[in-house]
Amino acid sequence: MEKLLEDVVRVAGGWIEARYQERRSLLLSSRNGHFEQCSSGRARGIGVRALSGGALGFSSTTDLSEKGLRQALASAQMLAAATREGKSHPVKLAPARPVRGTFPVDTVDRLDAHPLEEKIALVSRLDEQVRRASPKIVSSSVIYAETIDERIVATSEGTVVRVLDSKPSLRVLAVAGSAGEQFVGLQTVGVTGGWAELHARRHPDELVVEAVRIAIAQLAAPHTAGGLATVVLDPDLVGTLCHEAIGHTVEADIVLGGAVTADKIGHRVASELVTLCDSGLPLRGGHAVGLLPVDDEGVEAGRTVLVERGILRSYLHNRESAAHYGVTPTGNARAYQYSDEPIIRMTNTYIEPGETPVADLFEGIDDGYYLRGFAMSGQADSNAEFMFGVREAFRIKRGRVGSMVRGVTISGNAFDVLLSVDAVGDDFSWENGAGICGKGQPAKVDAGGPHIRCRLTLGGRQL
Amino acid sequence: MNDRLLETCRDGCAMATQMGATAAEVFAQDSEETSASIEKHDLQLARSSRELSYGVRTLVGDRLGFASTNNVRDLGDVCRDALALAKAAPGDPHNRFPEPAAHVAVEGLFDEEVHAFTARQVVDRALEMLRVAGAIDRRIVVGDGAFSAVRMTRAVANTLGVAASEASTFFAHHILVTAREGDRVSSMDFQAGATHWARDIDIVPAVDLACRNALDSLGCSAGESFQGIVILSPSAVLDVLVAPLLFQVNARNVLRGLSRWSDRLGTPIASRGLSITDDGTIASGVASSSFDREGVPHASLSLVAHGRLQSFLHNAYSSSAFGIPNTRHAAGSAASLPMIGPTNLAITPGDATLDELIADTKCGILVGRFSGNVDPVSGDFSGVAKAAQLLRSGRRAGPVTGTLIAGNVFAALEAILDVSRETQQIYGFRLAHVRVDGISITST
Repeated sequence: MEKLLEDVVRVAGGWIEARYQERRSLLLSSRNGHFEQCSSGRARGIGVRALSGGALGFSSTTDLSEKGLRQALASAQMLAAATREGKSHPVKLAPARPVRGTFPVDTVDRLDAHPLEEKIALVSRLDEQVRRASPKIVSSSVIYAETIDERIVATSEGTVVRVLDSKPSLRVLAVAGSAGEQFVGLQTVGVTGGWAELHARRHPDELVVEAVRIAIAQLAAPHTAGGLATVVLDPDLVGTLCHEAIGHTVEADIVLGGAVTADKIGHRVASELVTLCDSGLPLRGGHAVGLLPVDDEGVEAGRTVLVERGILRSYLHNRESAAHYGVTPTGNARAYQYSDEPIIRMTNTYIEPGETPVADLFEGIDDGYYLRGFAMSGQADSNAEFMFGVREAFRIKRGRVGSMVRGVTISGNAFDVLLSVDAVGDDFSWENGAGICGKGQPAKVDAGGPHIRCRLTLGGRQL
Repeated sequence: MNDRLLETCRDGCAMATQMGATAAEVFAQDSEETSASIEKHDLQLARSSRELSYGVRTLVGDRLGFASTNNVRDLGDVCRDALALAKAAPGDPHNRFPEPAAHVAVEGLFDEEVHAFTARQVVDRALEMLRVAGAIDRRIVVGDGAFSAVRMTRAVANTLGVAASEASTFFAHHILVTAREGDRVSSMDFQAGATHWARDIDIVPAVDLACRNALDSLGCSAGESFQGIVILSPSAVLDVLVAPLLFQVNARNVLRGLSRWSDRLGTPIASRGLSITDDGTIASGVASSSFDREGVPHASLSLVAHGRLQSFLHNAYSSSAFGIPNTRHAAGSAASLPMIGPTNLAITPGDATLDELIADTKCGILVGRFSGNVDPVSGDFSGVAKAAQLLRSGRRAGPVTGTLIAGNVFAALEAILDVSRETQQIYGFRLAHVRVDGISITST
């Protein structure tokens, strides 16, 4: 396949990028002791992008023959021609050094070395553990998912890379009920790697214990009135803030579409304690879900410093936006499947750890909140306004973490929140690897950071 | 094409049974799409794709396996995969496929014009969205948008004799805009539209509404904090009320112990003003089709009548588990197991106009879009009111920003005061404005 792609794109005429992708997936789920889903998927195909006369066209096919590839290429060129007249600004691509080679998955324990029966047994065991944990648990759910990808990217400029990928994830849900009310405890883990790396990130039994604890604790927790408050955010929420509320506003296509970060390069957008990055490289323990050695335009991954000591330094770029801004591509062009065209996506987005011991972050907070975990719901806007559900919220009184309150959301302008940061913890963890980012097409990304202390608005109730 | 796809489904069933399956089902989908996208207030890309996908369910006794592929050459391998998964999976007595039932073809789902719809016409429709948005106000920036023309054929067969196929066409568009004025950036607004017929394509209402909402949110002032009345737009009704309601009436969620309405059939779960129907057989309906994901003909269903819960939504599995007739709501694509979902869901309009609902509100807010968190299990919701207007003494008192609304869905359903006469189509949903009391409103 590598040779076929290379041979066809080399002589096609004009700029061409062809991607072959083969994906195998597995999904196992058990709920309340019933095995609900035992399913697998295979998908393979080729996507071709053509640049002609300043316009792009894209076509995909499942016909993997040379004839099928040539037809897709002709279709992409025809679609580029159909677009040309309507373009206000012709597309140009920033130069990128051709890359060649194979990039394997970093794992000591491949997923396909573990039989289906072992994975089913894990899911069934965890589901049973949740149900047996407490009589207050009224529902349980465990989902194991894995995707194994092979991608080949070939461009008319000489790039030919083969990238292998493997991403398992586990999700444990407990629902506690009492007096007609029900509350959810959710724990997830996801990595780039194999079976051992998934278990090393967080042991499955720990997910059960935590999910059950969170669900039950909410039964007795009161609502809070909300309002502006000093808070300590855990790495999960810091990662969510980095990805959802900041990261999307620095994707160059969103910037050009009217985001609040336009014309803000070189300006202060955060406290000087904040350095915020996006990186497809295996940093900080490795195995983050957004690892991406080479992107889908054939650009090698790097570490992009988006905010350096509070100053906005860069956007995330593909080759088109890099040409527009006259900068180097950052390796953020990604396509979810062969049938998707590459667009600007984050990889692993995070705040660099600081120097404050985590325990010290709570000192001096007379009345505030310790907020832990993204509740897998919420939205963010291109003006950096955000709204996220919080999995666990605890009152902080006179520097001590106290009782839990429930139904808490956080909202505000993400840059205002980052400007209010007055302490950054010395810890770090990746936390958002089990989720999927949506931007027209899905993407597996990760996010994380240290604990931070800042001020933001809690959504509560008028009590 | 319909017949050929159905034949492949039958072949897949035969292969699976020859390999040892007790029963088998193959669902196939052949989709051909041409689209043009907008980014950065400019035409971005034209694209085309052709995708055939096959989903195979096999039963070995009461054990179920599922596998999918996008390549017909892999159909044999996928039958083997599904069989291996079934053999490894624990059993469940309600794992079963539906029996055949008589079909009545739903009219108005396929437009022959799709064959003559060129890439150039698709591009022109996307350009029209840009032109319309630009003409409304120069401060508008279209960050994202697309127009697409889709031809789709679905077919399903099982070893009990179900055999159905159908072709349909879709012309869909969406737009996401913000408004910029100096350093001020509005909230983004998203609107969309879809139709089966080329002659019915009309991008103007979605573009106009998105631009108006974005512009309205530019000049916002701070709101006020109180507990009181909220008028939810159809978009906000979908997120705050309908989505959690659909979670609660999904029979799988009832079986999972996640619905608090498990013993509430026939009893009030909302105020008398709320009635909701679902009907997948509406001619030319956006979410209409002649049969569901399991090949069972759709039917009309009353979900909520004058506030009383009338039915849950079922597929073959849940109807077997409940021991009641199937409501024919199996949903999903060939790439996943059949789930449960609505078709054309509609809130029955009320008598009062939106203006009359506003005139009846001494103090409240009108919420154009809800951006936040709704927990469908506990019913707790909390989020930002976007494109929001403060209502004072029966009038719009100006746009407000930074306003959070919070409450509980189950309490809100019982506190519905009115449903508007006007309705808006949002994909398969036809929804009205809903006026609700007792919502917590916090200005930040």
